[in-house]
Amino acid sequence: MLTRLIVNFACLLKASTNYRNTKLFFYNLLENPESRIKSNFNVVMICLVLSSVFLLIYEVDTQFTGIERLFEYFLVTLFIIEYLLRAWLYNDVHKIILENYEKAEYLNSPFRLGKVVRLILAKKIEYIFTPLAVIDLLAILPSYRPVKMLQVLLIFRLLKLLRYFKSLNLFAEILSSKRFELYNLITFLGFLVFIGSTGIYLFEHPTNSGEVGNLFDAAYWAIVTVSSVGYGDIAPKTTGGRLVAMALILTGLGVLSFVISIIVSAFNDKMQDLRENRTYAELKRYPGFVIICGFGRVGLHIASQLEKHRQRFVVIDSEEVNALKARRLGYLVIHADASKYEVLINAGIRNRAAAVLCATGDDVVNVYITLTSRHLNPAIRIISRANSQDNVKKLYQAGADNVIQPFEIAAMVVAEYIGQPVAFEAILGIIREEKQIIMETLIVHSGSVIDGISIFNVDLEQRKLMLVGVISANPVHRKHKNRYKLKNEHFYFNPDPNFVLQAGDLLVVLGRVIAIDYFRDQIEKSRIGNGLKP
Amino acid sequence: MKRIAVFGYSIMSLEVMSRLNEDQYSLVFIGQDESEAALVEEKGFASKIIDFRNDDELRSIGIGADIDIIFCFYPKDSDNVFLTFSARAIDKALTIVAIVDDPESAEILLAAGANKIIDPYEICGRKTHDMLAKPDITNILDAAVFGRHDLHIAQIEIPEGSYLENTRSCDLKLGEKYNLILIGVVDRESGEALHFAVGEKECTLNAGDVLVVLGPSREISSFKEEVEAVL
Repeated sequence: MLTRLIVNFACLLKASTNYRNTKLFFYNLLENPESRIKSNFNVVMICLVLSSVFLLIYEVDTQFTGIERLFEYFLVTLFIIEYLLRAWLYNDVHKIILENYEKAEYLNSPFRLGKVVRLILAKKIEYIFTPLAVIDLLAILPSYRPVKMLQVLLIFRLLKLLRYFKSLNLFAEILSSKRFELYNLITFLGFLVFIGSTGIYLFEHPTNSGEVGNLFDAAYWAIVTVSSVGYGDIAPKTTGGRLVAMALILTGLGVLSFVISIIVSAFNDKMQDLRENRTYAELKRYPGFVIICGFGRVGLHIASQLEKHRQRFVVIDSEEVNALKARRLGYLVIHADASKYEVLINAGIRNRAAAVLCATGDDVVNVYITLTSRHLNPAIRIISRANSQDNVKKLYQAGADNVIQPFEIAAMVVAEYIGQPVAFEAILGIIREEKQIIMETLIVHSGSVIDGISIFNVDLEQRKLMLVGVISANPVHRKHKNRYKLKNEHFYFNPDPNFVLQAGDLLVVLGRVIAIDYFRDQIEKSRIGNGLKP
Repeated sequence: MKRIAVFGYSIMSLEVMSRLNEDQYSLVFIGQDESEAALVEEKGFASKIIDFRNDDELRSIGIGADIDIIFCFYPKDSDNVFLTFSARAIDKALTIVAIVDDPESAEILLAAGANKIIDPYEICGRKTHDMLAKPDITNILDAAVFGRHDLHIAQIEIPEGSYLENTRSCDLKLGEKYNLILIGVVDRESGEALHFAVGEKECTLNAGDVLVVLGPSREISSFKEEVEAVL
């Protein structure tokens, strides 16, 4: 009967969306390293832990007032709830029950509740003995007043901070990655201390007019000496004792420098991961950034342009020199191969990235990155560099929206410069926004003041703007002349005054920034005035 | 017809030569060896082989005489600097266009006497950014500047005796009369700077002023003919 009830309850939990959502919420709050709510929770917990430690230190020589005690109770309750929640999140009890039940049903063997309970308990005990859970438990204990000794466990409350600080975790990871080397060194150090303390005890025993009264003093002296701290409270008097001291200092120096070099090299190895984690964390905060693949000459210029226009971007390059160059310039860098799925996904190609720029000097790599990027995100904008004319078509086929050939463009620039320097400089000035005059597009919003109005009535001249043309995909305009095909739409150059603007059309205007911004504002306002959302 | 000498075999040299109109320019490729010259001749361009380090040989191809423009397109910046330096010493009025590999060499090239420095990577970087930030405008200006459609941007100098002399820029009404858009005017009286024809003070046109117009090539030619027809 009880078994039936438990199995039914487990089924209910499995089917319940509320239960799943609640567990997911607590997982995001406590465990999910990707979630934002967890980082906020961590900050709150760090503050609470620190204030509780100060409170406990304060309690050492003063008595708690009512509020302080209340705060301590609140904290301990919070710690206990957190501990229990983590134990709950560690695994799914209902899954163990159902798995065993289904197994028993399949094999036609009896379902033993006792065995399942044992399995569940084993899992929970496994959790209890994980290092961080032990620290959590020990952090709760100092609040237990009757045993004053437990106050020493205060130190564990500080250790609880390990949970909330990523960098502390990293330090623990580094130590554990070098545990083999460290174990060996610690064993060696243990031997040294043992030999040193035995030696000093034999030579510096009070019977030999020395200061080392017992083995504890000897071990204390050996550790102080080997670590090159040397308080000097116990100093060898005999020649034998001094020889032991000299040997211990020299070997101690060697061992210590060895330990330090191991930790430093481990840090160096981890530095790469650390930097990349920082890059990924920073990227998560930006919506609509650009991914630049390849940081050669072209990539460098693209990055400086994006930086100038305050647009967020990340550089991906597999070459150490290029990654270092980008890092020195203060850019976000991922030192990896951009043609790898994982690298692009981690960089955020599927969600937050707005565009991918393939700027490597190798067309083969550019085609590969373009294909990968298009596969990972069919909607993303891809602009690729082609070094050879033969590969332009391939890049378009691979999914690039635009293909740019450095030498072709440079040659065009030279030809224009030679033929029409004045006209060329004018256009260059407009493109680079170096003059006060710029060329911009203004969208005809549905319901705005210019929607359904003829160009004659828009009176751009009075607004100190010059209309170059209209970009539109609307078939209504097809009858007009001066039509030039763009990708999926048409550009109507110098449209006649009877050209009636339709919603979605883009006006290409030339004018001062203030005049363009003012007109854009007017279009927006008229639209909101007509009750339409911006 | 302007005479242009192109130094150095590279993708750039071939691209530029194929883009320059053969009716307006007389092009000669200057190679360092037979193989380079043969490759260029295959594409239908004239070529000569000289050692650019020798001033006499430079003079022999017409620098200091009938060559108006030289392109220094050697892959090495030091070669381009040397050529620029030598050519400038021979002809003060020569137009020298040089490409640069290392951006730091740009200043040296300018100091050596180059008129225009082209950094293909910089141009490509800017272009990629323009394409990303303003795709519509970049597409249209591309079409206009690089003639990808029948849309062109052109500069037209007003000769003495043209019917446009002493007219005001706002009275031109190019949009209605010629299907052209007047982008701006270089008023020689006030210097070499281009005054955009929008929101700026109108100026009276004189001989020597330059009009920058945008429009279909046929309309540009007919307007040019009318402007250049001396009364």
